[in-house]
Amino acid sequence: MKGKYKVVVQNNRLHYEIDIKRNITVIQGDSATGKTTLINMLRQAENLGISSGIDVICEVPCRVLEGINWKMILQNSSGNIFFIDEENAFMNSEEFAGMVKRSDNYFVLVTRENLYNLPYSVEEIYGLHASGKYQNTKKVYQQMYRIYSNVWEFPIRPEKLLVEDSNSGFEFLKRLQKRVTF
Amino acid sequence: MLSIYLGNMQEAIYYPPVYFDNRYEDEWITDELSIAMIKDVDRSEVVGPRLIESPVLGPISVKELSGGVKTLMLMAFSEEGKIFNASACGNNCAKWILKIGERKDLTVNLRHIMDFGEGTFEARILNTGEVVHNMEEFVKIAVDYV
Repeated sequence: MKGKYKVVVQNNRLHYEIDIKRNITVIQGDSATGKTTLINMLRQAENLGISSGIDVICEVPCRVLEGINWKMILQNSSGNIFFIDEENAFMNSEEFAGMVKRSDNYFVLVTRENLYNLPYSVEEIYGLHASGKYQNTKKVYQQMYRIYSNVWEFPIRPEKLLVEDSNSGFEFLKRLQKRVTF
Repeated sequence: MLSIYLGNMQEAIYYPPVYFDNRYEDEWITDELSIAMIKDVDRSEVVGPRLIESPVLGPISVKELSGGVKTLMLMAFSEEGKIFNASACGNNCAKWILKIGERKDLTVNLRHIMDFGEGTFEARILNTGEVVHNMEEFVKIAVDYV
């Protein structure tokens, strides 16, 4: 799966609009901003379809990945956007990271923890916030905002700052691994 | 005093909101502290022990409160000796964790760097035994564990 996807999830009270740009997107931020409500709406829509009263508008299926059967579901799925809520501790596992790497699905992960096993961009870490009412309706309009902006004020003043070009981390470590026996 | 164990902690309740749904007591909801936390974090009013008025969702049950505020109530009222994962709480819960830690000895598990704000506070980091007094001291230790 490649490219960007717009996801709209709405009922009579809430209207979420989310732009998914890469295979891994992380949603975190303050409590009570609607992260779990979004996952619950997606779960109800997936289970009940039109009977749920929830509209999910996206080019590809939007599903919730959770529970003890997550591996089996992931192994047999392709071309989906999977949303995973923070209660699913498997998000931190190497096994999950390996399956994500081989997967043709996109993932939206709700967590505040650092996911050291997964390669994701600092630009794809978002929070949710309500930005008023949606187009003169009663619905609260929920949008994503980037948590880490391009300008960041450090609480400390480092003497030296080590940075990397895009992709250089993986390529560097791959070459290093060939030369060094751990 | 607030004590924090950083990183993975097997015995901690990893996802406190579900634990809350199955263990909370009605009287927790109408306690003054809960009313203030629900007002501040969820922007919602406690109507009674089984009814909350949310500005977004309308009338909701206690189970529809945010994961953050549920975790705060467990920290404040649970007497089962459990340690709760404070990473279920956003930064808007941080001041309440400090407040609960001032009222009682509170141990929490933290798996990310929570922003406790610009002021001073006191917390013991159980991984090292050190007591930190501000974010700078906290971050210097936390980066090694989360």
